[in-house]
Amino acid sequence: MNFKDKWRFVQQNLKKNRVRIFMTVLATAMGTTFLIVLASVGFGLHDTLLKDIMEQDNLNEVSIYGYENEKGEHQYITDQHIEHFESLNNVKTVRRMNYLGQAPNYQVDNFEATAETRSVYFPAEQQAGMALAEGTFPTQANQVVVGYHFADELIPQDVDYDDLYTDDEVRKEETLFSENIIGKTLTFDIEKFDENDDVETTTFEVEVVGIVEEPVQRGWDDSNVYITDMLLNEIAAFTGTHTGSPYPVDDIEDTPTEKSYDNVYLHTHTLEQVQDLTTQLTDEGYYTYSVATEMKQLNMLFTIAKAGLIFIGTIAILIASIGIYNTMTMAVTERAPDIGIMKAIGANPRTIKQIFLLESSYIGLLGALIGTAVAYLISFAVNLGLPLILEAVFEEELPEGFQFSSIPLRLLFVAVAICLIVTIISGSRPAKKATQIDVLQAMKREI
Amino acid sequence: MITIKHLSHHFVMGKKGETKLPVLHDLSFSVNKGEVVSIIGRSGSGKSTLLNLISGFIHPTSGEITINGTDVTGFSEAEFADFRLNQIGFIFQNFQLIPSMTAYQNIELPLILKGINENERKKITEQTLERVGLSQYPNHYPGELSGGQQQRVSIARALVLNPPIILADEPTGSLDSETEASLLEFIRQLNQDLNITFLIITHDQEVARIGSRTLEIQDGHLIKGGNSR
Ligand SMILES: Nc1ncnc2c1ncn2[C@@H]1O[C@H](COP(=O)(O)OP(=O)(O)OP(=O)(O)O)[C@@H](O)[C@H]1O
Ligand SMILES: [Mg+2]
Repeated sequence: MNFKDKWRFVQQNLKKNRVRIFMTVLATAMGTTFLIVLASVGFGLHDTLLKDIMEQDNLNEVSIYGYENEKGEHQYITDQHIEHFESLNNVKTVRRMNYLGQAPNYQVDNFEATAETRSVYFPAEQQAGMALAEGTFPTQANQVVVGYHFADELIPQDVDYDDLYTDDEVRKEETLFSENIIGKTLTFDIEKFDENDDVETTTFEVEVVGIVEEPVQRGWDDSNVYITDMLLNEIAAFTGTHTGSPYPVDDIEDTPTEKSYDNVYLHTHTLEQVQDLTTQLTDEGYYTYSVATEMKQLNMLFTIAKAGLIFIGTIAILIASIGIYNTMTMAVTERAPDIGIMKAIGANPRTIKQIFLLESSYIGLLGALIGTAVAYLISFAVNLGLPLILEAVFEEELPEGFQFSSIPLRLLFVAVAICLIVTIISGSRPAKKATQIDVLQAMKREI
Repeated sequence: MITIKHLSHHFVMGKKGETKLPVLHDLSFSVNKGEVVSIIGRSGSGKSTLLNLISGFIHPTSGEITINGTDVTGFSEAEFADFRLNQIGFIFQNFQLIPSMTAYQNIELPLILKGINENERKKITEQTLERVGLSQYPNHYPGELSGGQQQRVSIARALVLNPPIILADEPTGSLDSETEASLLEFIRQLNQDLNITFLIITHDQEVARIGSRTLEIQDGHLIKGGNSR
C-alpha cells in the first residue's frame, strides 16, 4: 500500500471527526506556542546581552592580575613573566601598566593640577589601539602624554576655589588653561618619607608631547598623565620603592619587593585565540580575566536557562499529547470493525499501524505549524508592545536594539521536533492497539 | 490445493485458562484444484472453527495446514495477512463490507492494500463490478443495497485479486431462497470460468449440493469425506 493511499485513508478518517480533531490540533498548537514563546524569551535576552558585550572593543584582551607559584604563593607579574607572554604564539602584544605610588601636583606656567600618573609601555599601547588626538608618543624619559581631559583639570595656582565657578556651576573663562598643552613643560615634586616620617622632595620636569584621544565611552574622563617606564625607574630610584610610593617598603603590606606590573593585558590576534590563551595561562598558574571567557560563562548560563525553558514548554506539549492519545484511542476503538475486515482480507498489521501513526503525526505536525505561526505573532507583538509598556510604566527608555523575545531557526527545529516526537510516541500505543485487534471479535458486529 | 493433516483444536477458556474446550479432533482431508467442496454439519459442530484455522484467524492446537503448496501452520500474523491477500478470497455470512465505503471502494480495497496503481485499479474494479452485475451501483453504500447485492459486492471483493481459492462461511445464510439460488449459480459459473477452488460451509443440505464433494463434520469429527479414518 503506497503513501498516497494511506494518506487518503487518513483524510477520510479526519473528515469523520472534524471537531474532535480540531480540538486536538488546537491543544497541540497551544503547547507548541507556549514552548516557543517561553524559550524565545531566553533567546531574546541572550542575544541582547551578547550584542551588548560584542560592542565593547576589548574582546581580544586577556587581563592578567597575578601569578600563583608552585607553593601556592601569590606573586606579582614581573619582566620575566612579560618576556614569557611575549614569546607566546597567540599573543599579539603585551600591555603593562603601573600606577605611580603617589599623585603628583603638576605645574605648567601658572596653572596646576593633581593627576593620577600611569607608567605604560607605549609601543604595546600603540599596537593595542591607543591613539593620540594630537602630537606624538614619548621616546625619552622626560616626555609624557596626557589624557584628553587633563588640560581641563588645570586651574590657576593661586585662585580661591570659590572663584573657579560661575553661579551656574560652569568654570569661569579666565580660570581655564587656554593654551595648547603640547610642548609645555610640566613640573612636579616627588616625595619620600624616611623612617622618622621626615619628608624629602625632588623636582622633575617633563615635556608634554601628545594628547590621548577622547575615550570612546561617553561620560568617561581621562585626565591621567602617561609616563614611560624610564621615568618611573628614575622616580623609583629616588623613592627607593618600585612603585614610586613615598613610604618605605615595609610600611605597607603587600608591596612588591621587586619591579612588577599592576596591570597586564595580553592582546590576541583573533577572538578565537582568547579561550586557548586563557586556558593555557590559567594552567600555568596565572590569574586571568577576559570578556570572552565571561561571555562563555554567560553563554553557558543562558544555555542552561534555555534548556530549562524548553523543558517547561515540553511539559505543555506532553499535556497536549494526552489529548492526542485520547483521540487516537477513540479513533481505533471506533474503527475496530473496519480494521477487523481489513485484516481479514489481508491488510498487513504494519500497514494499519502506519495509517494510525500517519494520522497522529499529521495532527502533531498541523499543531506544530499552527503553534509556530502563532508563536511568531506573539513574539512580534511582545517585542513591539513590551518596550512601550515598560517605558510608559517605568518611564525609562530601554537600550537600543533591545529584544525581549527572539525565535531563531534552531529553536523552531527543536520545538517542531519535540512536538513531532511527543505526538508520535503518544500515537504509537493506539496504533499498536489497532494492529492487535482480533479479526473474529471485530467482525462479530451486526450489519 | 488445500491439505489438512491431523488438525485438532481446542479453545482455552476461563480467567486462568483452566478450561479446555475441544472443538476439532484429528481432521485430515484435502481439496484439489478447481474443486467446489462443501462442508456440512450441525450448528456448533466446528465448521466455522475449521475455516478460521485455514484462514489463519486462529492458530491450531496441533496439525498441519498446507495451502497451494505452502505450509502455513507456523505463519506469523503478518505473513498470514500477506498470504490471505494474495491467495484467498473470503465470502462471509454477514458480508463484512465497510459501511463508510461505497460498493466501488469496498471492491477496490484489496487492490489498494496490494499497492496496485490507480489506473490499473480503476480498470480491474470496474471489470469486477460488471462481472457481479453491479455496474449501476458503484457509488451505493452497503446500507443502500439489498442483501443479495451486498453479497455480490463481497464476492466481487473476494474475486478482485484473482485468488486461486475462495473460502465461504454460510454465504447464503442471510439471503432468501431465490437470491440463494442465483448466488449458488453464480459461484458455479465462477468455478467453471475461472477455475477457482471453493470451500463452502453450510448447515443446509440443499446448499451443500453445489459441491462436487461434501465433507461432513459431527461434534468436531470428520465423519464423511476425510482422507484417513
Ligand atoms: N472463540 C471461541 N471461544 C470458545 N469457544 C468457541 C469459540 N468459537 C467457537 N467456540 C465453540 O466451538 C464450537 C464450534 O463452534 P463453530 O462456530 O465452529 O460452530 P459452527 O459449526 O460454525 O456452528 P454454526 O453452524 O452455528 O455457525 C462451539 O461449541 C462454540 O461454542
Ligand atoms: Mg459457523
